[in-house]
Amino acid sequence: MSPSLDAQAAAQLLYLEADCLDRRRWDAWLALYTEDACFRIPTWLDEDTPADDPDRCVSLIHYASRAGLEDRVWRIRSGLSVASAVLPRTAHAVHNVRVGEVAPDGEVTVHSVFHVDLFEPRQRAVQVSFGHYAHRLRAVDGRWLIAGKTIVLMNDVIPTMIDVYSV
Amino acid sequence: MIAARGRERCVAGIARGFVRTIGAMSDRTPPHALVDDRPGEGVFRVHRDAFCRDDVFELELDALFERGWVYLGHESQLPRPNDYLTTWVGRVAVVVMRDEAGRLGAFLNSCRHKGAQVVHRARGNARLHLCRYHGWSYDSAGRNVVLRARADGAYPPSFDDAPHGLQPLAAFASHRGFLFGSLSDPGTTLADHLGDARIFLDLVVDQSEQGIELLPGDVRYTFRANWKFQLENTVDAYHFPATHPSYLRLMDRRARMGPREGVARSVWQGDDGVQLDERMGAFTFAHGHVLVWTTSPPERHPLYAQREALGRRVGAERASWMLRTRQLDVFPNLQIGSSAAIQMRVIRPLAPDLTEVSTWCIAPVGESADARRQRLRQYEDFYNPSGMATPDDTVNYEDCQRGMRSGRVPWQQAWLQGHARGIAAVRPGADAHARALGIRPATSSSGPFALADETVFHGLYREWAARLRDAETSR
Repeated sequence: MSPSLDAQAAAQLLYLEADCLDRRRWDAWLALYTEDACFRIPTWLDEDTPADDPDRCVSLIHYASRAGLEDRVWRIRSGLSVASAVLPRTAHAVHNVRVGEVAPDGEVTVHSVFHVDLFEPRQRAVQVSFGHYAHRLRAVDGRWLIAGKTIVLMNDVIPTMIDVYSV
Repeated sequence: MIAARGRERCVAGIARGFVRTIGAMSDRTPPHALVDDRPGEGVFRVHRDAFCRDDVFELELDALFERGWVYLGHESQLPRPNDYLTTWVGRVAVVVMRDEAGRLGAFLNSCRHKGAQVVHRARGNARLHLCRYHGWSYDSAGRNVVLRARADGAYPPSFDDAPHGLQPLAAFASHRGFLFGSLSDPGTTLADHLGDARIFLDLVVDQSEQGIELLPGDVRYTFRANWKFQLENTVDAYHFPATHPSYLRLMDRRARMGPREGVARSVWQGDDGVQLDERMGAFTFAHGHVLVWTTSPPERHPLYAQREALGRRVGAERASWMLRTRQLDVFPNLQIGSSAAIQMRVIRPLAPDLTEVSTWCIAPVGESADARRQRLRQYEDFYNPSGMATPDDTVNYEDCQRGMRSGRVPWQQAWLQGHARGIAAVRPGADAHARALGIRPATSSSGPFALADETVFHGLYREWAARLRDAETSR
């Protein structure tokens, strides 16, 4: 029996994820995901159409499991990446949280809008990214975990770089 | 000679008041003289001002992008009649179209009436292109088909002295699907312009009997640094172990952990974590094109299984070159990196310290779904601005730009030391590797991977300086 998931509970989970990213609590962030969680940021095929098929189209990021995110966290902490040497300060805001489809296996898709303000200390510059999240949530041992996350990034001309904390 | 002249000016500058005069002094130096090329003395230097000065940037756009051949797009992006794509040549908006009969053309993307950009989308399919301002319209061959309310317009007879269609580029040609154009007479055919560098485009195209395609999905990024950092970096063997240790160590880590669900392997991922026994080499060609190659154990290459069939089709030597990594710059704006995945980058300079890069994953037509998936995942992890290697490059470019503009460094101290590795090893003409492949480069060099040759950049800057000098003269 799955725990109930109303919009407020869904929002709390999304806010918690945002907070983990902003506070760089990487292990706590990873712990919100199931081991088989698929994480993807599709590209756009044209002005209006996000790419739908990651096996045919380039994605900005596509990991078929949490191991890809673990690699990212390893790199951020490694001290071996100049792009990660001075991390930006971020503020993730999540809005318009809406509980959507319930799959036959009980997984629930939660839709939301995100807005990330990012300050890059080296350039003394502010960047913004915004778009739509779709989280697929799965009940595991009485709590909801993220079994999939798709990030549709609206402003997809990337300023220098993005990483998992930028969106 | 240039250095001596600079020193005299510098001394004079100090005498007249340091900061203001130094700036004014270096601004008078003609752009082409920012490359100090004295092969007889073993000297090749590039000056920091080449990356910073507004007047140098303006001249680069004039001389390198808005004159002469530049890459526009790939035929596979326009497969059907009336397909189009829009792009830029320097500051100029351009549209490439396939007409009803399937013929390709390239035009200024600007209405003849008031200059408005006519085609707005990155690509699409349209028989007619309507200018929304006053309603002139053009067909997919660029012809004006509606000059609205013309009959009542009381135009003078001289109005028809100039054609009313979209203005075609002065030159437009394809090399095996790679489309190039020039805003003014380039003075050479595309074949002459590419010279033997075209062999390295052929090595990409000929990997598959059915040719290649650009995979769907736009990836575009900007960085706050000069465009030439991108031009250099793709052929920069020296930076790789220093800039990308996180990626290389991650590949070792993945190898140690064994296969994990959902994680792609890479050509750089050893099974044993042992350092590869690699060799490297570089060629420069006339007209600014350059190439760096490395060998790594060919059995790690995805084409290894097909090497015999490849050999029968393209010859054993070319097949063996397909199993080497190859980083190609087609001057001034096209880059193709070929390792396990094939990446194409197109450079668009926006300001002395701002550059836009568009990238595509190139793949052989008709590869299996598994191979395609593996190619995509590997490509994304390494090449994307959201990946784990390119961000370390773009952040380095920005560090370079900030470092360079941090105060006007006195002229003589502002020569970079980044173009000297390999000068004692480079030779004019073809080395054994070039002869085996049957090409005639302007220079060749090769050695252990640790040679990390920088003479490959000389080819870029020799063309750069020559074209800028010509443009200075004609101004």
